[in-house]
Parts: sequence; structure tokens; C-alpha cells
Amino acid sequence: MEEYPEELRTPPVSLVAVVGCPELHAPISTHLHSEHPPINTLALPDLSSNTIASLLPPSSSSSSRSVDDSSSSSASPPVGGILKRDWLLKHRTRVPSVLAALFPSDRISGDPAQWLQVSTDLEYLKAALRGRNIKLVVVVVHSDSTDGINEDRMVAFRKRAEVESKHLISFVLSDASELKQSLERLGSTFAELANAYYRDEGRRIKARIEKKSFSSIELYIRYCFKVAVYAEFRRDWVEALRYYEDGYHGLREMIGMSTRLPAVQRLVEIKSVAEQISFKISTLLLHGGKVTEAVTWFRRHNACYKKLVGIPEVDFLHWDWMSRQYLVFAELLETSFMAGQSTLPAVLGTAEKPLSEWEFLPAFYYQFAAQYLKEKRFSLERELSMMEAVCLDDNSESVVSYVFVGQYARLVEQGDEFALQLLTDEEYIHHALLEGKRFQDSFEIIALLKKSYESYTNLKIPRMASYCAFQMAKEYFAVGDLSNAKKLLDSIAKLYRQEGWVNLLWETLGYLRECSRKQEILEDFVEYSLEMAALPVSSGGVTKSTCRECGPAGPATMSRREVIQKEVFEFVNGKSDLAPTEDANSPRISKDLPLCIEIDLVSPLRVALLASVAFHEQIVKPDLPTLLTVSLLSQLPQTVEIDELEVQFNQSQCNFIIYSAQRHQSAVASNSLPKSRVEVTRALALSANRWLRLSYDVKSGQSGKLECISVIARIGPHFTICCRTESPASMDELPLWKFEDRVETFPTKDPALTFSGQKTIQVEEPDAMVELSLGASGPALVGESFILPVKVTSIGHAIFCGELKINLVDARGGGLVSPREIEPFSMDNHHVELLGIARPEGEDEPQRGADNIRKIQQSFGLVSVPFMNSGDSWSCNLEIKWHRPKLVVVYISLGYSPHCNESTAKVHVHRSLQIEGKSAITISHHVMLPYRRDPLLLSRIRPVPDSDQLISLPLNEKSILIVTAKNCTEVPLQLLSISVEKDDDECERSCCVQHESEGLIFSPLLVPGEEFKKFFSIIPEVNSSKLRMGMVCLRWRRYLEPKEHSGTFSKGVGVLTKHKLPNATVELSPLIVKLECPPYACIGDPFAFFITIQNQTQLLQEIKYSLADSQSFVLSGSHNDIIFLLPKSEHAICHKLVPLVSGLQQLPRVTVTSVRCAAGFQPSVPASSIFVYPTKPNIEMSWSATEEA
Amino acid sequence: MIVCVAVVGQQNNPLYIQSFTEAEDDLKLHHIVHCSLDVVDERVNNPKRSGSTLNETFLGLLYPTENYKVYGYLTNTKVKFILVTTDLDVRDADVRNFFRRFHSAYVDAVSNPFHVPGKKITSRTFAERVSNIVKSFRLSSSG
Repeated sequence: MEEYPEELRTPPVSLVAVVGCPELHAPISTHLHSEHPPINTLALPDLSSNTIASLLPPSSSSSSRSVDDSSSSSASPPVGGILKRDWLLKHRTRVPSVLAALFPSDRISGDPAQWLQVSTDLEYLKAALRGRNIKLVVVVVHSDSTDGINEDRMVAFRKRAEVESKHLISFVLSDASELKQSLERLGSTFAELANAYYRDEGRRIKARIEKKSFSSIELYIRYCFKVAVYAEFRRDWVEALRYYEDGYHGLREMIGMSTRLPAVQRLVEIKSVAEQISFKISTLLLHGGKVTEAVTWFRRHNACYKKLVGIPEVDFLHWDWMSRQYLVFAELLETSFMAGQSTLPAVLGTAEKPLSEWEFLPAFYYQFAAQYLKEKRFSLERELSMMEAVCLDDNSESVVSYVFVGQYARLVEQGDEFALQLLTDEEYIHHALLEGKRFQDSFEIIALLKKSYESYTNLKIPRMASYCAFQMAKEYFAVGDLSNAKKLLDSIAKLYRQEGWVNLLWETLGYLRECSRKQEILEDFVEYSLEMAALPVSSGGVTKSTCRECGPAGPATMSRREVIQKEVFEFVNGKSDLAPTEDANSPRISKDLPLCIEIDLVSPLRVALLASVAFHEQIVKPDLPTLLTVSLLSQLPQTVEIDELEVQFNQSQCNFIIYSAQRHQSAVASNSLPKSRVEVTRALALSANRWLRLSYDVKSGQSGKLECISVIARIGPHFTICCRTESPASMDELPLWKFEDRVETFPTKDPALTFSGQKTIQVEEPDAMVELSLGASGPALVGESFILPVKVTSIGHAIFCGELKINLVDARGGGLVSPREIEPFSMDNHHVELLGIARPEGEDEPQRGADNIRKIQQSFGLVSVPFMNSGDSWSCNLEIKWHRPKLVVVYISLGYSPHCNESTAKVHVHRSLQIEGKSAITISHHVMLPYRRDPLLLSRIRPVPDSDQLISLPLNEKSILIVTAKNCTEVPLQLLSISVEKDDDECERSCCVQHESEGLIFSPLLVPGEEFKKFFSIIPEVNSSKLRMGMVCLRWRRYLEPKEHSGTFSKGVGVLTKHKLPNATVELSPLIVKLECPPYACIGDPFAFFITIQNQTQLLQEIKYSLADSQSFVLSGSHNDIIFLLPKSEHAICHKLVPLVSGLQQLPRVTVTSVRCAAGFQPSVPASSIFVYPTKPNIEMSWSATEEA
Repeated sequence: MIVCVAVVGQQNNPLYIQSFTEAEDDLKLHHIVHCSLDVVDERVNNPKRSGSTLNETFLGLLYPTENYKVYGYLTNTKVKFILVTTDLDVRDADVRNFFRRFHSAYVDAVSNPFHVPGKKITSRTFAERVSNIVKSFRLSSSG
């Protein structure tokens, strides 16, 4: 756009001329320029000089007029061109629309001589303006408002000037406000007159168009252009656009019709004019915010002229022109977007002719500008090379632009003057070629592409940007700026790699390879070569090797890959130089210049060499061999011979080297084998897409992780490839090749290993040569100190720094503490407690310091184990107490180092034992009344609903308490004592508890499941509703066979188990019924059956009783009766019974009813049963013997 | 005349690309197809602006280069079909028809049990079918 003349680029601004009073010119022009719209001022210092004549050259104006006017006459010479080159400039800078003549007022009102001068000046001005449409304004400058000019003189002045009264303006300088007013007056008058001028001019020419009074199409175009420009002066954009378009269409018609100029130049002229008009149209459209229209217009413009290439010799001119069109439009679009005049429309194009979103991006046009410029360069170079033969010399002919746009002429010296002579086509072509030669198009192309590239990058359009970058890089490459080229190519190669566009990548890498070759960067050269050779380019088709599109990479074919591989391997083997030329300085891989290439997990070179390593096992014992498979894969087309392969581990002592047999022989011969382990295999040859699998044993003496880090392949004497290993289980697919339809094989022979194989292996710690044994097993009994003997026996290792850790863990999860049951004693917080660790009795501990037992907590203990030689043993007892029944796991781990230095890895032995803590004894109780003696307890017959179900005991009567202790363990227990103790907080005995029998004479032994019963009699002494019966205290211990080790369980006083007896209510029974009868009877032998009723109350008791008949007995006495019992007395009812049937017989049922208490009594079935013998039994002796005892 | 057709996979990787020109401009056509993926992305991300309706597989004219027109088509599985033609005036209906036939040829090709999804299409039958479709397109557009 910059190469267009200024007047074309900017919108036209009205021009006025000011003459006279030069001191006022500056403020006037400043004011006019700041007007809206602005007006340019042409300041002419004074009237007398010939400045007017020079600035308003009557000749040029009239000559152009004459050309225009004479066009109608047939005699006129043919039109020389379409647009005059300086016409627009003339109207922008030289031909004013208004001429303002400034006269000081004193000169008008002055003496006759002055007046005469004024008149002369006016005449002169009029003469100058004659024949032109330029408006004249006369301005009378008053230095102060008071100096009046008389009316007559003013009228005369106006008449002399031949102006309307409104065009005679008085300009007052006296003060600022007046000056401002005057300036404004001047400004508005000028604007109005200028508008009128341009309108008139436009109309005048428009009339010619309408009348079709033009002889040739050139004039039509010229007229259209002029009308449009005049409309632009008036800011009538619509009309301007219309006439520009008309002119443009006229121009299009001209193609092929005009014969005025030689063919080549004719086309050049048309295109030049079309370019200008199109530029104007685009500018107007974009200024109006009509982006879509502008883009559509440009499309049409482009379509119109794209095919007008012209003759092949000068097609570069066409490409140049095309490129400029795109460039200018791109710039216009860009400025328009930047100025915010245009925004991207919501809907692009129309339904029939949709525009793609790309067409609104300046980058799109820049890209094409570059492309056409490239086309131009190509054509130009072709032409130039052809012309070289014809000898293209600059014959110092000066060719200059001709008066018409798009025309050139030769400046010919004719005597003293110069004359312009039109060129022939041959001369023109010659000139154009010379001109073309002067420019370096590459930089221009790069600049254009760069703009495009940056724009696309900013808009996040990566692929377009890459394409631009690629073209840029090609240009850089062509001009020899290799580092820039390389930078760009590297960035785009990344994208192509990622998306798998192999052919594009091939091309890019070809350039990169060439760049690094030229820059002599060996590593890059080798890397790019290897990558190229390993690309999945499969087309085996023979393509022409010299195609224009192909870069230095050559065509992407299999054979080319092979060539590249061969080349690079010759190079790395030191057999050839980097550059193919015989340059002595070209670097070569040698001893002084070794080369190492690294291939990591993300390297694109994984396709060239991929190392997958898998251990066959996941865990291995130290110093035991485990199998390792090293698998190598290469996609290089030809077989790669590897001389040696070094496998490296994180434990460097495991490293080993694999030689091919051939290489090994030479190495043995030269005695250059390294110290590390060496393996020899038949051949280390990698063929394309086939895994080379090598399996070897690896042994590690160090526990921990063993990882295979890298595999280093040595090819030739000075070239190595260091390949980071990958686990087959987590290996990524090969980039690029993953899209190929190829046979995929597993890196290991065993497919399962491929899915699970890892490059790391866990080396276990060495086996412990120490036995740790736990001498007891459960169950433990709640309350006792459970002794757990631990024995450490060394069976091969000496023990240094031994340490025994004990942990008690709830087997069912959860802690050993229950937060809900907060016990009063802190000791009880733990249901299971590690009480202590003791040496077994008799084995005296060598007192070696207090740190022997380091720490004991309730569930954790730490003991140090003294130094032991191999074969020694050491033991200790853990004392654990259960407070509650609970299943506990005891974890015991012994850590020691087998050698005396601390640094060696500790060996650990773990044991665990699950021990259940069980309650040893369950105690239950039962309260009974004495046999056949039943006190009436009212609460039993009429339970009070709200009373808690306490046992009722009769006051002062004996009740029997039966305590049952059951062994619920699986071991025999020995009871030591059993007693009922009063409650701890009970101060006074409220009842009397007695042993029914003597205390435990011998400690009874309870086998598992056996019960032990003990009777107590209770006589409540206090009438209390809540009688505390006390607590059963039972002492017991494990029964130990005499031969059992005495120390294993503590003997002591045994374990005390307590059982609280429930509270009871005590009540006075009003009546007591006793049944009395002999212990047995004989058939036919009468016996007495007494029913004794005791009244314990102070009241008279009415008692009803009845006796039911029984078939087994004959009885005497009344069946029913009512008796009255006096207070504190007793009454016995006696019946005589004769048994009739032998066996256990039911006595006649007695029912006693107390009317007062409303309670009835019937003895229970066992209480009213008697055994009847058929004859008198002979048991006198034993009976008496018992009595005696 | 159709100069190039391409099938582009989900990761924007070429699955099948075939040019039908005599000249050696394969590389350029590759570039054009590759660049047109930008437009596909844009269309997919900004469906409103390009005026295409939702769920339309045919993406229309992707972008005009100076000599070529590029049309696109997007399947449900995000596989893209690209068509590069030198015809300046192509009816949308013809292109749609072409893509429909191309799509069914593609579906048949990938339904082959020996074809691994995501890999390049190497089926010779597919190539033949495509070239037939291209030929018939040439006839229909010229006729």
C-alpha cells in the first residue's frame, strides 16, 4: 500500500487558496485544517508576484481541458492513456476550489493610488480565474472594528471583484472573539463554495458521460474516475463508489478491444488502472464497514484479472501484480480491523455464495501475496536465465513513468531538451526484467509469510500457521539463513509428528537434515537422518526424482529411505564425510569426534531404536539369578548391525555387555575387553519391524529395587546410541507407525510377559538365619497374667543390634481401648495389656544396662536382644493380661543385622500369634426357700407392676442361695476359694449369710464344662426393700500338672473372679405354711400328715383349707374347714393317711386360703410327693449311720 | 475435477489420502488437506457462524485456495472426509452425493474384520471404489 501515491491512499480533502496578507495565512490554514471536514489551504504570499500563475498553471489546466474538449471533435489526436498520473495530485495540491483574496481595509479605503492597486489586483485575479470554475472570495481585513469603510467604496469594491455580497467577507482582527468569528465565517463560506465547486466540476463531467460524448472507452473510464474523485471531495461516498465501479467495468471491457499500445504495455496499463480503482473501491467499502461486500468485491476483482497472465515472457509482471493486490487488500483489511471500523460479520457471505471464515483474515491474503510473489520470482528467474544467454545488459537507457498511469517511456535527449518516447514491447520487457532483477523477493516473501504466520498463530490456527512457517523456512533455506529455517522447521515437525502426516514430516525433516548438514551439526544430522529413514513411508512407486515440489529430502519412497540410512551409517562409521563434496574440512566421525545419541521415552527417534526390557519375575531373592529379556526394535529399512550392546542398571555391578560373536573375537584379540560381565551372542542384527530378543540372567546381591536404565548400542568405533529402556507393560505405541497397517509382534516371546513385564525388579532382603518361636498358644484367660515365651534361636547368623518389637493388635480391627466404656481405673482402659517382658526364671540376665528393655506401653513393647553367636539362643517371656475377653494378634518382629557394621541392611523376622482371651468361669446363682416351709410372700402373688423384679426374701426366715461356677475354658481349673463377701461400700450387714457346708476343704478341680455348686443360707435381718446380698468371690487358677513347668504360669493366690449378687426385697410374711410328713411310707402303713399354719401377724386370721381326695391314699379327717388363728399362734391340722399304691405318689392336695390376705396356697408338686414302698424297706442301718455321722 | 480425496482420523491423522493428478503436487495437496483441518475444527467449534445447521455431516466449502476448492464432511465418529477439486463451480448437491457414497465406501472398508480401527486404510477394494466414485463425480459435474 505504501507504494501508492499519497493522494491515492488518503481520502480527498478540499483545497482552497489564500492570497494576500501573508501574516494571516498561518492562523487561517490552521483553522481550516481543524474544520470538520478539514480543508487544505494553499497559501500564496502576494498577488503581485507570478506565484498564482505558477501555481495555477493555465497551460496544464487548459491543455487537459483541450484534450477533454477536443475529444468530441474527430480531428483530435487519439487518447494517450486512461488516467493521467498527476491529475489527482494536481487537484489535491494545486488546483484550489476556492480562491480567497485578502485585502487590508486601509488599502480599500485609502488614497486613489491604493485603490487603483486593489483594482489592478482584482483584475489580475479575475483574469487568472477566467475560464475556470474556481470560486472567488474577497476578504476585507479590518485591523480593528472601528475602521469603517464607507458604503460606496465597499459596493464599488464588490462590483469590481464581481462577487456576490455574501462572498465578500470582512475579517476583523481586533480581538480574539472577533477573530474567531471571522475565521468561522471564512470556514463555512469556504466549505460551501468548495462543495459547490466540486459538485459543478463533477456535474460537468457527468454530463459528458450521460451524453456519451466521448470518443473512446479510455475517456469514459477517465470521466468516471474524475466524477468519483469529485464525489469523494464532497464526501458523497455512494456516488463515488458507483462511478468507480462504472469505471472499473469500463476497464474490463477495454481488455481485448484497445489497440492503442503494444499488447504487453496495454495490459500493464489496464491492470495499473484497475488496481487503483479497485483499491479505491475496497477502501470505500471498508471505511463504510461493509466487510462482506469488500471481500466479495475483492473476490470478483481477483476472478476478473487472475487469468489475464499475458504473454509468458512477462508473466512475472502479472504475478507481481496479483501479489500486490493481495498484499494491499490484506493491509486494508488489517487497518480496518485495527481501527475498529469493521468487525467480523455474524453470518459470512450469502447462502448461495458463502464466504469461508478464512477470507476475513488478513493472514489469508498475506499468504496469497507471498504465494504469488513466489510465482513471480519463479517466472522472473526463468526469464532471466533465458535472457542471460541473450546478454541482458543495462544499456543505461533511462526509462521513466509516462504521464499516464501504467505507462512508461524512454527519456531521450534531443539537443538540450529531453523528450519522452514510448517504448516498444521488447524494450519494455527488457526494462521490466532489469527492474525485476533489482529486487530481492525472498525477504519480501518471508515478511509476508511472517505476518500471516503470526496472525494464524495468534488466532490459534495451528495448521495454517505451520504451512506458512514451512514456506517461510523454505525461503530462509533458500537465502541461506539456516538457523531461522531450522527453528521454524523444528516447530512444525512437532505438529506433523503428532498428527502423523508422514509425507509432510518427511519433507520437513529433509530440510532440517540439509540445514544441519550445512551447519555441520553432526548430532542433528544423524538424528534427522535416522528419523527420516525410519518414517513409515511405504509407497514403493517410482516417482520422478526431480520434481519441483520435492525439497532436499527427495521423494518419499522406500528406496530413498534406504539411501538415507546407508548414507548416515556410512557417516557414523566414519567412512564418509558430512558433506558430499570433497571438502577436506568437513567433519567426520572419528576418535576425536565421537558421537552419542540419546533416545528417551518421548524422542521421535524411538522409531529408529526402541529398547524394551522385562524381568521375568517381579521379586527375586538376593544373589539368585533372574531372567531378563532385552528386546530391540527398529523400523529402519535395512538391517542394522550392532557391535556391542551395553545394558545398564541402577546397580552398576549388574551391568553387562553383549558382543556379537565376530566383534568379540576381535575384542579378545586386541585384549580390550572391559572388566564388567561380558556375554556373547551370535549376531546383533536388527531387521526392520522385527524384535531382537536377548535373554540373560541377572544377579543382584543388594536388596531393594533393581532397574534397567538404559541400553547402549555401539555401532562402529565411535558412534553410540543410548536408549532409555521401557517396560513392555507400560510402553507407548510407536508414533507414526501406530497408524500403519503392519504386523505387530510382542517384544517378548511370552505374550503374558509383554502385558505385565517391568523393567524393574524387587530384590528381597536376605533370608533370616534366625528362628523366632512363640512358645504358647491360646486361649488366655481373662484376669490371669498370660505368659508368652519367645525364643530367638540363631541358626546361622550372628545377631548384632537385635531388636524385638511387640505389638498387640485387636484382631477384629478397632483399638484395644473402648472409648465408650470409660473405666475408673486407667489400667482398665486397655482391655488387653502388655504387662512386662521378663527373662525366664533361672536364666540370669547379664545386667548390661537399663536400656535392655527399652520401652513398654500397653500395647507395644521394644526389647533389645543381646549379641548372639551363631547357634546361640535367647528367650524371654511376655506377660500379657486380658481385662476383657478379646481376640488379639501379637505381632513380634525381630530386626537384626547379621554383620557387626551397622550400615548393612537389617534382616527382619516376623511372627504373629492370634490369642483369644476368654472368661474362665461363669458364676450364676439361684435363691430358694426351705423344703416344705412356705412363708406367704404377698409380693409374689400380687406383683406390683412398677416394682423391679427383685427377689423377695422372707424376713428372719432362712432362704437358700445356690452359687454355680462353671468352667467355660478348655483347660482344667482349680478352685481355690469361694465365698460371699459383703459389698465394699456396705458398712453393716443386713443379712446373715452362712456357708451351708464347710468351706472348701480341698481345691476342687473343674474340668472343662463342669459346674461347681455351693450352698449358702441367707437370713435377712432387716426389713428392707433393697437388701444387698453381697458379692460372690471366687479364686481360681489354672490347674497345672505337676510335671508342667512351674514358671510358665504364676501360681500365687490365683485369679479372683467376682460376681455381684442382685439386691432383694425383704418382707415379713404374714403366714407360714409347713407340710410335715415322713420321708417315705409303706403300703398299708398309716402315717401322719401335718399341715401347720403359723400366724405371724397381730391379727386374727381366718383360714380356709380343703383337702382333695387321692386314689393312692385313704385319709381320715375333715376335707374342708375354716379355722381362726389367733395372732402369733400356730395351728396344726393332722390327717392320717394310709397309702394304697406304691411308688412316688402325690399326697392329697391341700389348699390353704387366707381370707384376710386373699391369698391361696397350694404346695408345689415335689413338695407334696412321697415315695411309698411296698414293704418296709431295710434301710434302717444306713439311715442311722448317716445320722450318727 | 477432483484432484484429491482424503480420510482423516480422529487424531487428525491421515488414514487415506489419494490424489488424482498427473502433476507432482502431492505434497501441496497434503498441505491443503492438512490446513483444511483447521477449518473443520473451526466449523465444529463454531457451528453457528458458518451458518451450517447442527448435526449436519456435510461441512460445505471449507476454504478456497487460488486454484482449488476444499470441501469437508464429518462423520459421527469424528472421521473427516476432505475433497479437493479444481472445479470452480460445483453444485453442493453433487458434493453431498459424493460424500455420501464415499462415506458408505469407508464404512464398508472399516467393517472388514481384518481392519484395525484407527489404522490407515490399505484396502485395494476401497481404493478402487473411491476412484470409481471420483470418476463418476467427474462425469456428473461435467455433464
